[in-house]
Amino acid sequence: MIDYFKEYFDFKALFLCVALVTLGLLSVYSATYDVGAGATFQKQVMWAGIGFLAMLVTALLPLKSLQRLAFPIYAGSLVLLIVVLLVGKTTSGSKSWFGVGGLGGQPSEIAKVAAVLALAAFLSRTTTSLSNAKHLLIAFGIVLVPSVLILAQPDLGTTVVFSAMLLPVLYWAGAKNFVLVAILSPIIVAAGALFGTLAFLFSIGIAGVLLYITRENRFVAAVAFGLTLAVGLSVQAVYERMPPYQQKRIDTFLNPNLAPRGAGYNVLQSKVAIGSGGIFGKGYLQGTQTQLNFIPEQWTDFIFCVPGEEFGFVGASVVLIFFTALLLHGVNVAGMSKNRFASTSAVGITGILATHMLINIGMSMGILPVIGIPLPFLSYGGSALIANMMMVGLLMNFYSNRKEH
Amino acid sequence: MIHDEYFGTPERRKILTGIILLIFAVLMVRLYQLQLLYHGELDKKSEENSIRALVKEPIRGYIYDRNGKMIVDVGPSYTVMVVPAEFDRSNLPFLSSILEMEPRAIEERIARARAYSPFLPSRLKRDVDIKSLATIEEHLPLFSGISYQVESKRSYPTPAHAAHLLGYSREISDAQLSQVGEYYRQGDVVGIAGLEARYENLLRGEKGYEYVSVNSRGQIIGSFEDGGRDVTSKEGFDLILGMDVDLQAFAESLMTAHAYGGAIVAMDPKNGALLAVVSKPDFDPAIMSGVTPAEMWGRLNTDESKPLYNRATLTRYPPGSTFKMVLAAAALEEGIIDERYRINCSGGFRFGNRVWKDLHVHGSTNVIEAIQRSCNVFFYQLMFKVGFEKWTEYGRRFGFGKPTGIDTGEETSGLLPSIEYYDARYGKGKWTAGFTVSLAIGQGEVGVSPLQMVRYIAALANGGTLHQPHAVQYINNKRVGKVEEIPRDAASVGLSARTMELIREGMRRVVQEPGGTASLARIKGVVSAGKTGTAENPHGEDHAWYVGFSPFDDPRIAVAIMLENSGFGGSKAAPLAGLIIEKYLYGQLRRPTPNAAPIKRDSTKAITQVILEH
Repeated sequence: MIDYFKEYFDFKALFLCVALVTLGLLSVYSATYDVGAGATFQKQVMWAGIGFLAMLVTALLPLKSLQRLAFPIYAGSLVLLIVVLLVGKTTSGSKSWFGVGGLGGQPSEIAKVAAVLALAAFLSRTTTSLSNAKHLLIAFGIVLVPSVLILAQPDLGTTVVFSAMLLPVLYWAGAKNFVLVAILSPIIVAAGALFGTLAFLFSIGIAGVLLYITRENRFVAAVAFGLTLAVGLSVQAVYERMPPYQQKRIDTFLNPNLAPRGAGYNVLQSKVAIGSGGIFGKGYLQGTQTQLNFIPEQWTDFIFCVPGEEFGFVGASVVLIFFTALLLHGVNVAGMSKNRFASTSAVGITGILATHMLINIGMSMGILPVIGIPLPFLSYGGSALIANMMMVGLLMNFYSNRKEH
Repeated sequence: MIHDEYFGTPERRKILTGIILLIFAVLMVRLYQLQLLYHGELDKKSEENSIRALVKEPIRGYIYDRNGKMIVDVGPSYTVMVVPAEFDRSNLPFLSSILEMEPRAIEERIARARAYSPFLPSRLKRDVDIKSLATIEEHLPLFSGISYQVESKRSYPTPAHAAHLLGYSREISDAQLSQVGEYYRQGDVVGIAGLEARYENLLRGEKGYEYVSVNSRGQIIGSFEDGGRDVTSKEGFDLILGMDVDLQAFAESLMTAHAYGGAIVAMDPKNGALLAVVSKPDFDPAIMSGVTPAEMWGRLNTDESKPLYNRATLTRYPPGSTFKMVLAAAALEEGIIDERYRINCSGGFRFGNRVWKDLHVHGSTNVIEAIQRSCNVFFYQLMFKVGFEKWTEYGRRFGFGKPTGIDTGEETSGLLPSIEYYDARYGKGKWTAGFTVSLAIGQGEVGVSPLQMVRYIAALANGGTLHQPHAVQYINNKRVGKVEEIPRDAASVGLSARTMELIREGMRRVVQEPGGTASLARIKGVVSAGKTGTAENPHGEDHAWYVGFSPFDDPRIAVAIMLENSGFGGSKAAPLAGLIIEKYLYGQLRRPTPNAAPIKRDSTKAITQVILEH
């Protein structure tokens, strides 16, 4: 009986997810300890409960229905994204949230899951070929449409995560190396453009060499290179049109001494919080950085400071290890699945979670720019928590049905 | 698929696994750097970060009367603060003797402060007297973790109490703290009753923060970043009331001088602004500011005369004859009678085998005379002509049986009986028309508050507009630096000019003509109108009513007076109305008043003592 369960029930994903959510609740409680009487924490507990149910329900759905429902769900998520642009509430400069009465949410969180499923459903069709330019464009479009809608909110962070999912999915689905390089080179050049002329030229060089090595057709390679250049040159123009708070974040990342009291303040205090934690941390609810509110809005984007400061290297490593274990498990599930839709979706989900982890923890430790994206399972926020737990539910589902074609 | 051979190949699986492990390695290395390599440096930075955010309390908004006189002020109050992590328990006995607090009480306070934050100062005792404060200041180096801050408390510069209208603010309770969310913390003051509660969000202002560096003993060694991150507190908005505070004080003194219990409500009939709201017995709101001794609280709550009870908005007595204008309005407006319609009052009215008596034999009476002389027989008969349903409808038009929408405190809807009400109460068909006879003269089950009454009279005064009664007229919005008027509701009663004219003529005669029941409300040089009433009280002496307005041609004040257990309205309530109207219209009394109490605040007597006649 137990063996049967082990065979068909994904205890590993369940354990890792519950452990991370529990660490998240402890952290949110600590970060909001002095603010009001625990209302934030209580809300998060409620979201975690709902998320847990959503995860189990997702895990038990028939795989074939999921595959059939992928496009309707995707269409629904696009409608929500459009509605939120029209009637959404504006919080800290973005129109990303809408609510009816006391309930509400961010449709961009649901859109992530929906886009992964739609992309996987499209790529797993027997008629789809990644050598066919038209099919490749459709795959792009599936990700691009919600990305643009989210960028219009404007929410740069979520857009980045969204787009980053495309690369591993295409790679897994069998795209040629050239296709991947062609996608990657504009990103490299765009990043280079922000660092000044020398870095710009250097990144163009790298992109050129990579495109040359992986080329199959000289003309196509030349077009890709031209596009890369165009992207790099227009980055500066896009930068000018960004909301000032995001410009400031990019500036501060490039040069933290520019505004030590402004946008750089968060990163500085976050580094101090994590660094002062040492090996074993200052003890739960004893972190002076956390308890004295040195890090504004810590319970959302800078939640990683709490385990870092209060549980030290030991605690922070546990978070990283659990996260990494969940990501590796995601790749394993993808490898085991006989069903292409399930396999591709598993890679997409893993890609989204990995990007979140890298960017969020990276910015908390001052090695990546502060683009406001939450740490899955740990940060405060209902829609994100539910969406993330549903993604784990999907992994559990694919694990159970891994032998199904 | 054409690229089948590349889909999820073991090689690609290895690459993805490798990328994940690479991300993990990068983050682990960085974690190692921060927490182990740079730990010493960053830990020192965190220690240097011994910065306290001191809360700067905003000044609560002031309350002014219609003439700009300050009714509610703020004065300084000293609060002793504690930082739990730095408090030294060996100081407990000494501190206990200075603050006159039980050591256990202090420890409990500190435990609760610790739950809020071990590192931030919390209030230990509010409103500490200046002598204790001096002792603490002298020994401050000894008391680690103890400090004090200057806060504000309410003070009341005028002799008026207006306790039920103004309400009061107190330290927030634990129960409230868990409800109201993130702005408040232990020890904060919050409006509990009256205007202080209703306008809490406007009055309170916004807290400010001052960041200071402290040494390891918690003593302030300087400002943090030269105050660059400080947030200044924002003053609360001021309220500008419709009240005339001199009139309020005068009305209170009249009630006190006569030792009356009951209520006086005066309203500006043009817009519904409340000129005075008196409920007696009352209390001095000054005893609620700062720290109210428990013993005082106990007395306020258990006193038999119920000083906390707002008789102006919460009592629900029958209106007596003051309600006759409702029935008259229904009869005239529906065209059932006109001024030529007369009955012969023989001093009694027989219905079935019961007889309702009148006080006098009025002889031939039309509607104007019936109001003037308060002829019961006329209205008994009229009730059957008009019908119960219409009576209820017109009562509703004048705002009875529902809340008025006043902007302060609680209020009663009163009770306006209707067919549905009787059906529900006694069962369909189990009540008869006889039940409605006493309603004709405002007796029986009908119940009204003095506030509802003044609004009804104001509508008769202003030609038929039912205004939302309100204490606050303007708000001094300090954020935009503008005085803003608060929009209020108004509805039409829907009576023709002719109906109005006849009813008002009856009410004028009540005061101004011989044979009227309220000649004692007459004022030299001004024509007034009004109506007396007596609410039958099965539990004791009847309650007296008087309602009226003045001047007759261009009314500037409407007033409703209800005196508990005081008998007939014409003899006791009407003279008070005369004095109040005179005071308001002329700014002072133009006649000697033998019986007015001195108008001054007597802080030794917190509760106005009232000898109630039972």
